[in-house]
Amino acid sequence: MLQLQFFGLIRILLKREAMELAWAEGDTVQRVLDRAQDQVGTAFVHKLLDDLGTPRSGTIILVNRRNIAHLKGLQTPLADGDTLAFFPPGAGG
Amino acid sequence: MSLAAEQRYARQVLHWGGEKQRQIEQSSLLVAGVGGLGATVSQLLVRAGIGRLYLVDDGVLDWPDLNRQTLYGEKDIGRAKLPLARERLNQINSATRISELAGRIDGAFRVPSEVNGVADCLDNYRSRFSLYRALAAGTYFVHGGLSGDNGQVLTLLAGKSQPFDEIFAGAVQPEGSIPVTPDSVVVIAGLMVNELFNVLWGTPKLLDRCLVVGLADFSMAFLEI
Repeated sequence: MLQLQFFGLIRILLKREAMELAWAEGDTVQRVLDRAQDQVGTAFVHKLLDDLGTPRSGTIILVNRRNIAHLKGLQTPLADGDTLAFFPPGAGG
Repeated sequence: MSLAAEQRYARQVLHWGGEKQRQIEQSSLLVAGVGGLGATVSQLLVRAGIGRLYLVDDGVLDWPDLNRQTLYGEKDIGRAKLPLARERLNQINSATRISELAGRIDGAFRVPSEVNGVADCLDNYRSRFSLYRALAAGTYFVHGGLSGDNGQVLTLLAGKSQPFDEIFAGAVQPEGSIPVTPDSVVVIAGLMVNELFNVLWGTPKLLDRCLVVGLADFSMAFLEI
């Protein structure tokens, strides 16, 4: 299984803080995002990615506590048991 | 402890005891930014009796600051925040030694070697990344940030934790002004100060663990880093 955690505005939009998805061979962050959107029935991927499919600057995506910017981005491969976190940090002070 | 100090800290010592009070009074912290978060963080630290405080900020007070920057008032508009903050904090508790570090936080910034920890009360990622890179290994970094109803507090230990700029890689400052209300700033600032005390006592509760706060539904959640 894959564990997905939602924080901040993403959690409010989806009205849930976590969900589980079955892992499949060849899964990447991008694939799992699409599958998660289908399962929850609420469009949220557009909040994370722009029209070109590039991660927006307002949300960081972590796989097992590592920012995907240091992995392979949306093409980061996932293994069974991985945890993904979607977190739009507050930038102000 | 003098009689005045005993009276000043009487209520908090009832809660955390004399030993923890002594640790606070013997500690030194850097508060980076004395705007929304920093004005309240520095104020609470001084009220609690922190021994030494370093402040850094290069801003000038403007009208949009007054909704949340609790050290300042209308007559301060147009004045540099750094000397103002020092003046106001000194009026609150003259026992705290306060030093101003002038200038911007950039690649040339140096963190005083004696500080026990750093409070990131900044309002932009570029400065936050520079501040974190300036930390000596073994220095605690308590980050706070917010936007609208949402905010977060996270503690990192330089040299051991994932670097701040790696965790927040790709986080770019939004264009324009960030929505910030008086209540949300004070909530996040209060949580930061609670964690700063934990750091000074050697028991940080948010080390590599981001507390994500949502005021829209009074939620708190942990994001393990």
